[in-house]
Amino acid sequence: MQKALSYRDWLSTTTTTGGATNPPMENSSTSDNDTAVVKKLVTENAVVVFARRGCCMCHVVKLLLHGHGVNPTIFDVDEQNEAAVMNELSKINTAGEGSAATEAKFPAVFVGGKLLGGLEEIMGAHISGELVPRLREAGALWL
Amino acid sequence: MNSTSTQFVPSRRMGLCEPMPQVGMWNDYKENNCMHASQPVILEVDSRFDNQSEDTSHGTVGPSNKYDQEENKPVDKVMRRLAQNREAARKCRLRKKAYVQQLENSKLRLMQLEQELERARHQGSYIGGGLDTGQLGYSGTTNPGIATFEMEYGHWVEEQNKKIADLRNALYSDIGDVELGIFVDGGMRHYFDLFAMKATAARADVFYLMSGTWKTSAEHFLSWIGGFRPSELLKVLMPHLEPLTEQRRLELSNLRQSCQQAEDALSQGLEKLHQILSETVADGQLGEGNYLPQISAAMEKLEAMVRFVGQADHLRQETLLQISRNLTTRQTARGLLALGEYFQRLRALSSLWASRPRGSA
Repeated sequence: MQKALSYRDWLSTTTTTGGATNPPMENSSTSDNDTAVVKKLVTENAVVVFARRGCCMCHVVKLLLHGHGVNPTIFDVDEQNEAAVMNELSKINTAGEGSAATEAKFPAVFVGGKLLGGLEEIMGAHISGELVPRLREAGALWL
Repeated sequence: MNSTSTQFVPSRRMGLCEPMPQVGMWNDYKENNCMHASQPVILEVDSRFDNQSEDTSHGTVGPSNKYDQEENKPVDKVMRRLAQNREAARKCRLRKKAYVQQLENSKLRLMQLEQELERARHQGSYIGGGLDTGQLGYSGTTNPGIATFEMEYGHWVEEQNKKIADLRNALYSDIGDVELGIFVDGGMRHYFDLFAMKATAARADVFYLMSGTWKTSAEHFLSWIGGFRPSELLKVLMPHLEPLTEQRRLELSNLRQSCQQAEDALSQGLEKLHQILSETVADGQLGEGNYLPQISAAMEKLEAMVRFVGQADHLRQETLLQISRNLTTRQTARGLLALGEYFQRLRALSSLWASRPRGSA
């Protein structure tokens, strides 16, 4: 299922859709810009995957989600921005759940604005059958 | 195996079969076998009847005509005794079957050990867990993490054989679900222990783990990313979990599909890593003799290998857990037993294959 981004969204973010990766323009931007972008992504998209560029684990996550008919939004994280982005992600996670801050790892998958976890958690949810309901809940599935 | 024995204590001939006769030549055991349990029991109960000849056909309870000679009052009691007798005889036959299997497994294990000793004597190499591949002083001598793993794995296999035998006995006996559950939990945890061991070994040398030299050849041939393929496992197990309700069968079928999807995703991810690694190493000018930058870049990529092995084992663990969630304790026990024996057979196959006479017509 193609997740369409509105033109306005496309202008305001420098991220990619449909699994294709573009060289991100935030290379030269400050980390403040990044954090705003990150927050916006998480709240506006049903499924977002944050991963290091060229990470093979991210590839696996993508394939699994595609298998369920989901086209996740992928955010490529540069090495220099890694710490900042990770920081921001952990903050989002804490704010959302009110629990102790858990150090997220890349790739980090957000479903419905909440951190689902890394590859391990996605696999676990996939096997136990919990993944599909959560995807449906977040509006990522149409069936 | 038949060279040493102790004689059966004569009094045992008269009693019901012992749960697991500890010793005794197989031949002795045969003569006193459970097929004739029916006769001794009758004898115990009512010594009036003469000893039936041991040639009487197997499985028959005492002839009923003799009972007619008695008063009809105790007929009910007698019928009940007969039924109990049949039950006892049946159980005894099952125990005998389990015992035989245990013996045969031990025999195979003994063969394997003898071969290993032979090889070790000739080569003087370190005896590790992969019984038929002959490590020939592999990195075990240079990498302490791997040496530890090889030793621990050897112990794991021995422990696994014991656990399987115990589980088999438990299934054939009359223990309740709670007790059976203890065996099941132990069995599952033992697999999880192996995954933990492998994680440590992967950090020491992931190539070693992926090469599969620590496993027997047949196991390695059928493996996927360093271990069993979960979807294949389900295929092996399902017939032994019957009878299943339609719903359960569907759930397991769906689980198998989920496993296949996860396996495909991991396999493709690994393929991608393969490509990236190749590109990284081949990057830049080949032939100039300065390749430190490429090598250090490749080192980083290799870290991902460790994670892949970890993810594959995690998938195996999740699959085992999910299977047990959907089944009764007894079904899970049967599944674990089937699984355990499947790998025992693979190990035995590897041994026999390695020791087959070469160049024979």
